[in-house]
Amino acid sequence: MNALRIIGAFLRLNVQVALAYRSEAVVQILLNLMWLAWELTSLAIIFANTNELGGWGPAELIALLGVWRLVNTMMSIIVWPNTEKFNQGLRDGSLDYTFLQPANSQFLVSITRVELWRLWDFVIAVVLIVVGLGMSGRVATPVNIATFLALTVSGAAVLYSLWIVMIAVTFWFTRFDNNVTILAALMDAGRFPAQVYPFWLRLLITFIIPVAVATTVPLQGLRGELAWWEIAGFLALGVAAVLLSSRLWKAGVRRYSGASS
Amino acid sequence: MFQIFRRLWALNWAEQWQYRANLLMYLLFWLVAPIVYLAVWTTVARTQGSVNGLTASDFAAYYMVLLVVDVLTSQITIHVLAPEIQNGNLSNRLLLPVHPVLTQVLVNNIAFKALNLIALAPIWLALYLLFRPALNLSVLYLALAVPALVLAFGILFLLGAALTLVAFWTTRVWALWNFYSAVFMLFAGHFVPLALLPPLLQTIAKALPFSYTLYFPIQLILGKLAPQEVAINFGMQIVWLALACVIFRVTWRAGVRQFSAVGA
Repeated sequence: MNALRIIGAFLRLNVQVALAYRSEAVVQILLNLMWLAWELTSLAIIFANTNELGGWGPAELIALLGVWRLVNTMMSIIVWPNTEKFNQGLRDGSLDYTFLQPANSQFLVSITRVELWRLWDFVIAVVLIVVGLGMSGRVATPVNIATFLALTVSGAAVLYSLWIVMIAVTFWFTRFDNNVTILAALMDAGRFPAQVYPFWLRLLITFIIPVAVATTVPLQGLRGELAWWEIAGFLALGVAAVLLSSRLWKAGVRRYSGASS
Repeated sequence: MFQIFRRLWALNWAEQWQYRANLLMYLLFWLVAPIVYLAVWTTVARTQGSVNGLTASDFAAYYMVLLVVDVLTSQITIHVLAPEIQNGNLSNRLLLPVHPVLTQVLVNNIAFKALNLIALAPIWLALYLLFRPALNLSVLYLALAVPALVLAFGILFLLGAALTLVAFWTTRVWALWNFYSAVFMLFAGHFVPLALLPPLLQTIAKALPFSYTLYFPIQLILGKLAPQEVAINFGMQIVWLALACVIFRVTWRAGVRQFSAVGA
């Protein structure tokens, strides 16, 4: 109940911020539409030269683009803005106040800043997924859809946990400007199915910076390509990631000693 | 003048060297897209033997050359100059008896480029061994590529600077830069060798400066161009350099007149 009240308060605050910078939001939405046009054009160019990419057709790549945008939206609504806030807090010591609050600190650093107008991106992402599926002519069974939703949530949880690990590590090594760059850089690789990449890159984006777990894998679930034990494995990975990262976060917070001390 | 450039070089080299960790991160960011596109196109080429006559190792060669050409010709002017315009630091530079963009900003770009190239070398070698491109370099084409690369950097530097100068009028210069980058990636040959674009997009690419700054040097180094095409492309580079010069001068003059530093 308390958590909901805190979320409510932060949302109100962020609505006010969003309203103060209305024209900025409009510009960003237009830019986002431009990138959408770019991404669809690039798919059109690819499929003007081939019928399939690593066994995936154009419709399925549109759906994958939707899933990738879904994950990216989550990153840009909460992860990137809060990283900026966290690093700044670490630098100038304002993080002290976060830890003094009578609430879970990991929860607080994850929701302080929310770029609300990006919710619009969610709509685009969902439309892409639905259109892509419709075009593929595949009738998704309820089981497939449930699998897809579960895998998307757990894939997002894995990326969120990795982010928590990356910023928590900053408590030990105080070089904070670049703590999440590798994650941000590799997000781009999620736009195409992992099967396309050479072995070493596939290894990197599946196990080390698991972007593919949140993009390719859920879509494979939707296509009904995964065995039950694979699905169970990925879901277990999501749960394990959340538990491990929150333990690491707590250990990191115990090491925190403020900016000036 | 030479003395000025030497001092600026020492200063900027030291500054870039200080931020070497940032530079590695920048490099990482920038590397992902070409490697992804390389993977996409080699996959396509492998499934059907070749695309439009290009085999998987042709694509590998194209992108391996692209990595080097892109570092040599790209510019970071907006990152250097836009903050100075917005926070008013430019005032100090305007008091100096030399053009701030054509000295300080230019040298800063070149220092960044030099350091970038050093950091790229081992990565490039590793990628070469991983992708095994069919690279047959000839001394003649490499020698011809030198003026092509210098002209390309000149065009992109002046255009990038002119775009950054829009910060004199609006704080939304980054949105504009975003748009510029998207157009560049599509029409310079960053996403795909331009020969694979649909005819309409190829026509647009020919009307824009970007294909002459990236696609042309790459094709030149790969030895894919007939002598006549080389001549035409060099001609277009010179035309665009002249145009970029004019655009830059006009925006600079108007912008400085418009400029009233923050707090003034």
